[in-house]
Amino acid sequence: MKVFIDPPNSLILFDLVERFGHEPLSTMAALQERIDNIEVDMPPMNVTLDDVVRGLKYAGIEVPSGVRGRLAVWGPMIEEADAAIIVDDPPFSFGCVGCERSELMVKYLIKRRGIPMLRVPYPNSEEEGKVFVGQVKEFLEGLQ
Amino acid sequence: MSDERETRLLMISPASRLTPEMLARTIHSMGVDVALKETCYGCLIEGRREAVLEVTRRARGLQGNSVFSKRRAYRMGDPVRCRAQHGTRPGFSQLESEWVALPYIEAGLDAIDRGEKYKKIPAKEKLPVDKLIEICEVKL
Repeated sequence: MKVFIDPPNSLILFDLVERFGHEPLSTMAALQERIDNIEVDMPPMNVTLDDVVRGLKYAGIEVPSGVRGRLAVWGPMIEEADAAIIVDDPPFSFGCVGCERSELMVKYLIKRRGIPMLRVPYPNSEEEGKVFVGQVKEFLEGLQ
Repeated sequence: MSDERETRLLMISPASRLTPEMLARTIHSMGVDVALKETCYGCLIEGRREAVLEVTRRARGLQGNSVFSKRRAYRMGDPVRCRAQHGTRPGFSQLESEWVALPYIEAGLDAIDRGEKYKKIPAKEKLPVDKLIEICEVKL
């Protein structure tokens, strides 16, 4: 099954979803498509002008273009997903830095789709790490 | 077999005794057709999707659960991203923050391998108003 991970560029979530036999939907795969096929030729930008227009489906015109650009990449992945895993209370550098609005929009879009969702707290110790991995495993094994 | 290109980064947990050099040498000795670049955190591999997945699967089995992997959008040594060519590195802070948490995840995976059950940690509750009032009114 396709599992959306939040943050979508997370190494830990990507690795765990793959280890437990599912397909993680990540920013990296979405951007690779753009790099290989469309040619992102304005470094360091990762999205094209069309993406920003496409982002209007997920966020209004009054929303900052950065949020819209991110949602243009993440929105189609949320639509494609069969389940989602979200990390709560992470340190500020974990995930998309300085973009709380995109985070809120992503959570809203997932909730609106009504797909199975797991919210796990960010681990800060070995004990919490065991709970984190245990919950992720249990959730992924329960997906039909 | 698919010709689709896949680039992956393999990151070693800081709690591991494995070094990037050991990891790179082991991957070379697997004899799978992938390009490899040793980095400070582990290594980058690139090649056909099946070959890259095969290397990833085997690398994950080295020294317990200490090697983690994710895809990378840009090619190895891409001038937009490669530090050697003064590219921007927007993903670095993310990698750095996850590197710190990898020993906890490794411990979690090891516990699962040992068949341990986890105990749920109760969620933090919000501070009740009367407790807040008590804190505010305390006389030092």
